[in-house]
Amino acid sequence: MTGTDLKSAGSTGGSRSPGRRGVRPADDSRGLLAPFILAWRFRELIVAMLRRELAERFRHTIFGWAWAVIGPLVSLAIYTIAFTGVMRLPVGSARGGTANYALSTFIGLIVFNLCAELCYRSPLLLHEHAAYIKTSIFPSETLAWTAVMRGFTYAGISLAVLLVFALAINGTLQPTALLLPLVIVPLGLMLLGLVWCLAALGAFTRDFAYLMITIVPVMMFATPVFYRISDIPETLRPLAYLNPLASAIEMARNLLIDGALPSASLYLAFLVAAFLVCRGGYAVFERYKGILVDVI
Amino acid sequence: MSSDIAIRCAGLGKAYQLYARRTDRLKQVAFGSFRRFYQEYWVLRDINLEVARGECVGVVGHNGAGKTTLLQLLCGITRPTCGELEVNGRLAPILALGSGFVGDISGRENALLGGAMLGLRRAEILRRLPAIGEFAGIGPFIDQPVRLYSSGMRSRLAFSICAHADADIMLIDEALAVGDAVFRRKCLRFLEAFRRFGTLLVVSHEDDQIAAMCDRVVWVDDGRIRASGSAAEILALYREATRRDEDNGSRFRFDSAAHAPAPPGAD
Repeated sequence: MTGTDLKSAGSTGGSRSPGRRGVRPADDSRGLLAPFILAWRFRELIVAMLRRELAERFRHTIFGWAWAVIGPLVSLAIYTIAFTGVMRLPVGSARGGTANYALSTFIGLIVFNLCAELCYRSPLLLHEHAAYIKTSIFPSETLAWTAVMRGFTYAGISLAVLLVFALAINGTLQPTALLLPLVIVPLGLMLLGLVWCLAALGAFTRDFAYLMITIVPVMMFATPVFYRISDIPETLRPLAYLNPLASAIEMARNLLIDGALPSASLYLAFLVAAFLVCRGGYAVFERYKGILVDVI
Repeated sequence: MSSDIAIRCAGLGKAYQLYARRTDRLKQVAFGSFRRFYQEYWVLRDINLEVARGECVGVVGHNGAGKTTLLQLLCGITRPTCGELEVNGRLAPILALGSGFVGDISGRENALLGGAMLGLRRAEILRRLPAIGEFAGIGPFIDQPVRLYSSGMRSRLAFSICAHADADIMLIDEALAVGDAVFRRKCLRFLEAFRRFGTLLVVSHEDDQIAAMCDRVVWVDDGRIRASGSAAEILALYREATRRDEDNGSRFRFDSAAHAPAPPGAD
């Protein structure tokens, strides 16, 4: 009964509906730098949201922020033990000894976990903040910035643990480690684009959340977390570099373990890809923004 | 000239998309530019409204008439499907008091967050926090997690945050219904003072409140403006119409916004 009502309303409503003129064009949603102008304009809000999320995270615990350090420490210990004692190392990674293999794996894990967390969370990001989006003037684009910055905060804690560990076993850090921000920033841009895209799609249907739960663990094996790209057959390597996470992880390893600069062409390609993903993801979000509030 | 006008709508309309199947929603996302996979349901149509700076306009109408959607359009929460909309000035919407609060953090932290959403700088909010707490009148509870608040305390704090947001235009949706008499008096006193420099749009089911506050009343019915004029005149019309009305299911129809009332028994 309701179905027929709908149909009749739709068919007549459709023929009568006035032309969709551009209504209040989103003034600053165009332009190459739009995602950054947005972040600057709402910086206070982004920081306030980030503060809230970080304050909330360990609020009801006794150990509080210690958990953020304990987590990475335990996984670092487990992977070191597992791959040195229980399993045999892949050949190439054994260069530099078990401690450096643990380092290498840990770098892979930090980057992968950062990405995985955002993949799991993004499709539900708008649902999570539905109360804000529906009842206040809330720029929902900023949620991606908040989510990525939160992810990087935890990754940063892990990175600190890693640096201390590296210092402890090698007695010194590679000077190239100072260049790490040059890899972190494009990685952040790439993740931003990913979050925007997934958040917009996830608003329409929660299937994307389940899709992520299904494919992210598979992605772990397609990403050089437990091995290095140099371990795989030479013919397959170009393929591996197509995975942007692989490039990010390898470049971070170059800087932190090898003490070498990543190849210029790889870095340049990564930089361009990062910017394109970021801007593209933002464009997807902006395209659907007008109807997002009506579907969540 | 346009600076004297706070809100101007011309031919404003909002249609929601109703999907028959879940998969249609995905198809719309993927192939929306080629075909339409939804039915339209017009919540608001042909809204022509002009509110001058410093004016206080009341909005009345029965549940589901489109009042809240109108406010949501005005503050840009949802985008209009057609028509023109012009809003001059900084908005502070009080749509669902306290619904944006996070239960686990204190009232003070929530005020910081709520203020940021309204576009205030952190330093500004920090400076105003004492005043916000004072106006809300919740005493030491401002430092307690919001989940411990009663619903009245939540709305007190939420109203207080909006009241200190330096807005030019306030949109108020049934906001005063929850507070107790004392707080309500305080709010009305505040709104009275606010009107000297700001613009006010109030949705309420309480005729007395609207009659006391508003210069002008707009009656929204079935997604259209049915009448608009002086408060006394429109409220009398509206009261007359509601007296005759019976509360039955025919009030909420999918097709009501697009058509004249369906003949009785058509279903």
